[in-house]
Amino acid sequence: MIRIISFLKKINNGIAVIAGLALLACITLIILDIVLREIGISFSGSEEISGYVMAAVTSWGICYGLTAKAHVRIDFLREKGNLLISSLFDLIALAALSYVAVYLAYYAIPVLSKTLKSGALSNTAMEIPLYLPQSIWLAGWIWFAISSSVLLIISIILVIQGKYEIVDKNIGTGGDL
Amino acid sequence: SETLSIVGSWSSLPLNKLYENPFWNETIPADSKGEFKVTMTTLDQMGIGGSDVFRMLTDGVFDIGMTSADYAVSDTPALEGLDVPLIANTASKAKEVVDAARPMIDDIFKDTFNAKVLAIVPYPPQVVFCNAEVKSLSDLAGLKIRASGRMTAKFLEALNAQSVNIGFGEVPGALQRGVIDCAVTGAGSGYSAGWWEVTTHLMNLPLGGWDPVVTAMNLDKWNSLSEKNQNFIQESVKSKFEKPVWDSAQSALNDDIACLTGNDNCSKGDVRNLTLVEISEPDMLKAKDILESKVLPEWAERAGSEWIQRWNETVGQVAGIEISANKAQ
Amino acid sequence: MILFTSMGLLGLLALSIPVGIVLFLLAFGVDTFFSPFPLMRGLGQIVWSSSNNSTLIAIPFFVLIGEILLRSGVAQRTYAALNTWVSWLPGGLIHANIATATMFSATSGSSVATAATVATVATPQGEKLGYDPRLFTGSIAAGGTLGILIPPSINLIVYGFLTESSVPKLFLAGIVPGMMMALLFMAITIVLCSLYPKLGGPKQHSSWSEKIVALKSLSPILFLFLSVVGSIYMGWATPTEAAAIGVVISLVISFAYSVISTEMLIKSLVGTVKITSMIMLVVIGAYVLNFALTASGFGRALQELLQGLGLSPIGTLLVIILTYIILGFFIETLSLMVATIPIVVPIIIQIGYDPIWFGILMIILVEMALITPPVGLNLYVVNSARKNGKMADVIIGSIPYVLIMLFMVFLLIMFPSLALYLPNNY
Ligand code: NA
Ligand code: NA
Repeated sequence: MIRIISFLKKINNGIAVIAGLALLACITLIILDIVLREIGISFSGSEEISGYVMAAVTSWGICYGLTAKAHVRIDFLREKGNLLISSLFDLIALAALSYVAVYLAYYAIPVLSKTLKSGALSNTAMEIPLYLPQSIWLAGWIWFAISSSVLLIISIILVIQGKYEIVDKNIGTGGDL
Repeated sequence: SETLSIVGSWSSLPLNKLYENPFWNETIPADSKGEFKVTMTTLDQMGIGGSDVFRMLTDGVFDIGMTSADYAVSDTPALEGLDVPLIANTASKAKEVVDAARPMIDDIFKDTFNAKVLAIVPYPPQVVFCNAEVKSLSDLAGLKIRASGRMTAKFLEALNAQSVNIGFGEVPGALQRGVIDCAVTGAGSGYSAGWWEVTTHLMNLPLGGWDPVVTAMNLDKWNSLSEKNQNFIQESVKSKFEKPVWDSAQSALNDDIACLTGNDNCSKGDVRNLTLVEISEPDMLKAKDILESKVLPEWAERAGSEWIQRWNETVGQVAGIEISANKAQ
Repeated sequence: MILFTSMGLLGLLALSIPVGIVLFLLAFGVDTFFSPFPLMRGLGQIVWSSSNNSTLIAIPFFVLIGEILLRSGVAQRTYAALNTWVSWLPGGLIHANIATATMFSATSGSSVATAATVATVATPQGEKLGYDPRLFTGSIAAGGTLGILIPPSINLIVYGFLTESSVPKLFLAGIVPGMMMALLFMAITIVLCSLYPKLGGPKQHSSWSEKIVALKSLSPILFLFLSVVGSIYMGWATPTEAAAIGVVISLVISFAYSVISTEMLIKSLVGTVKITSMIMLVVIGAYVLNFALTASGFGRALQELLQGLGLSPIGTLLVIILTYIILGFFIETLSLMVATIPIVVPIIIQIGYDPIWFGILMIILVEMALITPPVGLNLYVVNSARKNGKMADVIIGSIPYVLIMLFMVFLLIMFPSLALYLPNNY
């Protein structure tokens, strides 16, 4: 069980590094764009690409946020109970999250399938085929749905086994800000 | 009775305030004697982008949607042919172009968005505000211009001007600080947003086209209506929505220009004193040349030969432009 | 629907479900119960459109600047330098806390990050010199809140995004109220510490030559602020581009202090992704909720309710302010903003107030929420920087500063030009 959790974490940590490097690449591109503009060469594609990077960093980053316990929770009630109670709170929270994740991934699929069907290009001079950024973005949401569901199943088992401390450590609150 | 859920175009602009909103919220329910009920909002209030409207209409998220056709071109490049810059510099000419294009647009919407086109009306044409000495189209070369839409951007590229993408609200500051030299928007929007404070020249040429706004209905919903109701909607839209908007288009433009340049009567309030630059005959020829030699052939590659042929037979006839087939290859 | 939404919001939050997820669930609920149309079929499209946004990418960039600076030792140097300039005042180091927080606010987009940074460097000094912990920690918690008022500000970017108002204008509007609040914080510290010297600690006197030498340590952070904010107003860059420039400069600063390494860079990047993901889940959730509420006629229902109360514009404004103060006790700040902007701002505009001005007013209310218990992130952050000590110290120490914030709200209502003069004239 715990091995699966640490495997998930390892993957998501890797994702966070990649997302961070994507941000760094985007910064480089923007700086290049500013410099080119000041010396009078037209490029101005960095704005559009920044949008795509943001979309991808968002969907994939949210997966990392899941295992890093980054998503803000208001825990004044949860704090009041013992470990069992707070584990149950954690299960409810994770179940709600998984539900939203699956729902979201399901309804994100048509965005890409419409794009594939119409062959949509971005409405700019760059004419980027939209399926490229959208598939990266969609894959992030699908991974969010998968990883949260897996985490939920494992956590339920752990609660049944009475391993509340492990639950608290992995899906509790208090990821530092 | 039927309930229609409707998403109108930008709530702050006159098209929605003066026409869309009263027509759908009052005229339709009253004229149908309660047969149609309406819940209406606008795309900006919903927080959805212009490009989302017709995609959501496809899925039946709502029944009727309206937005600028320019926002939908990413899903169907063929639609760009509805709003080619600089082919119509009067409202009546623009109306001819739209009428000629209408059967083609009907098919595009049916194929791409599973939707029935109810109306196509113009926004005020997209004119050019400049904080620079400009006298003709060629003076735009080398300037940085805020414009939206792929075809306008391509046109500017062909003019050796630089097309810059910035949000509407950032334009006055950007003009003032020289980040951009010119910006394209409707004359009325530019008047109310105070662009005259930071510009000196107003070029009365539809560089961004007429920005037609398409009103369309989900096709399944349309088919579920009785023939009588279909006719009722079609007739009402035509006579009580589409016609008044087109009728007022030219006078609204003249009024806005008068208010901005102060060389005629202005009904809106204070008169401003931008220098008016009217498009000249050589400019029109130059524009036509750029369109025929560069911008439209590129579009032809995006849109595909079937649509180009139809465009040549319809819009092309009205505009006196032909996209040659071999360039399209 | 108003009852359903507000009860649902509080109930689900109390279950400790992540805030962003709560907003999604509410949107699903509104769709199911109040909308005759299958709104959620548009869910994917709206999530794509709201995250594919080049303005929002300024958020991770500004977070990254903070992450890099935190690891570069700039904070310590700045604190020591400001110490020589302001700690002769009654209250001593407390003024250095506020001044350092103000300076960091000018480079950081986040209040929590600002408070965390200042707390890390200030707390050991305060403990060493035997300061009364209350006012000392309260000043850090309160000073840190300036991070979202003085530009750059993540919260103002989000406000501009959700209300479609100009981010550069919002940034400009925050400068004067931000500086005023910093000065008022120092003023009330002087008053309190003159009346009750035990609240402060030893004053520290520095020679002029020490002061001049100290200025050198302030130069990197001043340079960073001027480049970021300056490049926006000189017209070289959009806020997003300015943020990118800021990242490069903060890297250069770390390089100059030779603290840069691959490991430090990766840590900063991962920290950035984490905070960004937290923010974006909430922002997208708010966006989706807004979509569902508008499509279901929520705004109209709320407006009818307000009209039924028959309040004047100022009456409505006061009700809204009171609501924010109360909600601010319980709800995390960004969530508070994004969950309420779609509902409140249209009303504010309709009754004739300026959206830029209201953005600043809302930020001050949100700052207050950061230091009011039980949910006040800055209180937690500052307290956790101490080795031991009760949360109550920080809470009590923040009270004078909360009063200043209320006073600032009053000033803004009386003199809107405090916020609006700069954006309307530059
Ligand atoms: Na700041
Ligand atoms: Na609070």
